[in-house]
Amino acid sequence: MAELQRDTRNSNDKRDSIQMNSNQEPKKPKKRSFSQRQRNMASGYMFISPFYLLFAVFGVFPILFSFYLAFFRWDGLGDMEFVGFNNFNIIFNDPLFWKSLYNTIMIGLMGTAPQLLAAILLAFALNSVLIRFKSVFRLAIFLPYVTSIVAVAIVFSVIFSNQDSGLVNAVLGVFGIDPITWTRSEWGTKVAIATMIFWRWVGYNTIIYLAGMQSIPNDLYEAAKIDGATLRQQIWHITIPMLKPFIIFTVFTATIGALQIFAEPHIFQGRAGRPEGMSVVLYLYRDAFGSNFFGTASATAIVLFFIIIIFSSLNLYFANRIGRSKKVGVK
Amino acid sequence: MKKYGLMAALLALSVAAAGCGDNNTNDTAGNTNDNTNDNDAALADNEDVNEDDVTSLGDEDADVELSFWLFGATGYPELAEEYIEENPNVSITFQEIEMGDHHNNLFTALSAGSGAPDLAAIEVSELDSYKSAEDRFVNLYDFGAEELEDDYLDWVWENGESVEGDFLFGLPTDIGPTVMFYRTDVFEEAGLPSEPEEVEELISTWDDYREVAQTILDETGKPMADNPETVFNAKRDQAPQAYFNENDELILDDEPYVREAFFETSEMIQDGYVDNFGMWTPEWGGGMADGDFATLLAPAWMQGVIKGNAPDATEWRVAAMPEGGGNWGGSYVAIPEQSELQQEAYDFMTWLLAPEQQLKAFENMGLFPSTPEVYDMPEFQDYSDDYFGGQNTAQVFAQSALEGEHVHKGPQYGDVNSEILAGLDNVFDGFDPEEEWEDVLSRVEQRTSR
Repeated sequence: MAELQRDTRNSNDKRDSIQMNSNQEPKKPKKRSFSQRQRNMASGYMFISPFYLLFAVFGVFPILFSFYLAFFRWDGLGDMEFVGFNNFNIIFNDPLFWKSLYNTIMIGLMGTAPQLLAAILLAFALNSVLIRFKSVFRLAIFLPYVTSIVAVAIVFSVIFSNQDSGLVNAVLGVFGIDPITWTRSEWGTKVAIATMIFWRWVGYNTIIYLAGMQSIPNDLYEAAKIDGATLRQQIWHITIPMLKPFIIFTVFTATIGALQIFAEPHIFQGRAGRPEGMSVVLYLYRDAFGSNFFGTASATAIVLFFIIIIFSSLNLYFANRIGRSKKVGVK
Repeated sequence: MKKYGLMAALLALSVAAAGCGDNNTNDTAGNTNDNTNDNDAALADNEDVNEDDVTSLGDEDADVELSFWLFGATGYPELAEEYIEENPNVSITFQEIEMGDHHNNLFTALSAGSGAPDLAAIEVSELDSYKSAEDRFVNLYDFGAEELEDDYLDWVWENGESVEGDFLFGLPTDIGPTVMFYRTDVFEEAGLPSEPEEVEELISTWDDYREVAQTILDETGKPMADNPETVFNAKRDQAPQAYFNENDELILDDEPYVREAFFETSEMIQDGYVDNFGMWTPEWGGGMADGDFATLLAPAWMQGVIKGNAPDATEWRVAAMPEGGGNWGGSYVAIPEQSELQQEAYDFMTWLLAPEQQLKAFENMGLFPSTPEVYDMPEFQDYSDDYFGGQNTAQVFAQSALEGEHVHKGPQYGDVNSEILAGLDNVFDGFDPEEEWEDVLSRVEQRTSR
């Protein structure tokens, strides 16, 4: 009976019939709300799709393709030739590859380790009550970060000029030190590039630490002061442990950034590059876009990918441990 | 209130800085590329003409719409206006960008199989890396280009062919015959004659060059040459062979030329005749203006660089290169296979690169003609350049151009070149030339074996 009734109504008015369905059977309304949810989901996916579509085209595809390319010999115009693991063989037997890896790690250490320390101290200073015009200083210290990396490299290559009249060499001359050939000597190059990285990134990390410090409740410091803690003890036992997540974040990003150093040595040493300042990314860039060896360049990229994973895991492990032990210290 | 004003000002400043930063990335990156790119900045490069530039000529509804990619300052769009007037059914869009970007874009478009223009300029040092891809270009011999061969210098023409000589990739535009630019004031200070004829007589061999270098060093304390690179290039470009033979096998250690060039340059470095003002650095440009070095061994298009860096100097003159000229730089115009207007592109190209237009390109932008017919034209015979004291520089360049020879470069030419230059830099820093040469050989071996 109900069946028949519904049918007749159905023929009269579809919307009504749906209405009826929902009234009569408990299962049907669920179906209706599901289609609504589906529609919501679809529109949700559409809203986020621009990013993922672009990412698929310009991110995922090139990444997968470079894995594929690593096993081929290809000059970009001719035919691809499958060579198995030969590309890896070539780069592992190239002393310059190992040199570039060494350079990357050295420059990374020289550029980031002192920088993170300095950033913590700067953030602490900016956070303290002793400084006036805080906003001005905060802004000033962040400015290098928004400066074009190429402009920075060009300015620094003038500062670290090989000539006796270069700024740094002139200053060294005052102290009776012989001029250094910054763009060609083993350590001169690394110092110059590390200085560039230090200057450019210290503000960014300072701001992150500063944000972290402002999230630390003042009560802790007050309590410590009442207990007679010195400034050093305050930093060591309150600030650093409470900053743990921020330190992990900055160490993480700094490590990945350091392993991908490219623009600074590229511009500082010129397009051809030299072994003293050759970073891994520069090494693969030179292969791909200088000589059209896309196979070995892709193989290098993959090796770098695994190196970054290893270094990041190690970092995460140590950063975690340091944070934990400090916390124990506080207790 | 005051505080907010200050903050707002700083914020504005930082936004402005960020804005500049972004713009700069493109411009300066291009610039640096240009400056360090093996220095074969060919088509009469002017440092300040680096901005992206698109010029459209002709009717928007024209039947034939050609596109032409160029780099450097060629003045071709202005030149082509005449062609458009004669051929109203044609319109041409020129894209003129920085040299490194230009070749990257072209390479990508050819590799991808779409997006390439109907006509593209290719620099001579880049040309050989495209030669493995004959299927991506139009063989100009299919359009009857052989009848034009006599218009052009033999060696320039041969550079544009495949090794077998049956495929023509491009027609030559300008060339870079090498000469010796020198400073009269430094020569006079050293008590030497300074008129071009006298200097050519004084320095006709490399031994003379070294002797004069010693005199200048003793009398003025100034180096003879700006950097190892220009000296090495000058010697290398005089040899009939470079780094590879025509089968693209490395001959660095088998043939004497490059090794000799390396060791003779090293010797001059060790004697103190050669300084190390890095190519394209501000110091190098400053040295041109101040006369910090006595000579600059460079191609014809370097005159634009000298004029740009030392606009007020009156002391520069041009003399023949000791022991004969070579070639450094120059370009070709090619038609990608993708083009759907190949015949029309070919017609325009043959007009543009004919002797009459090459003369105009020389007069407008200083592009040195690859068509020897121009050298006998009255405009060329009576040419005088006020910057070089009214000297007829065109004749010095022309003499050098006629002495040129075809040299096979090979696709890995640039890689080998930069390794050699790195070795010479090390010699300048005091390392032993013998050891450096061995290092260069092993690095080159490493690079060419992949």
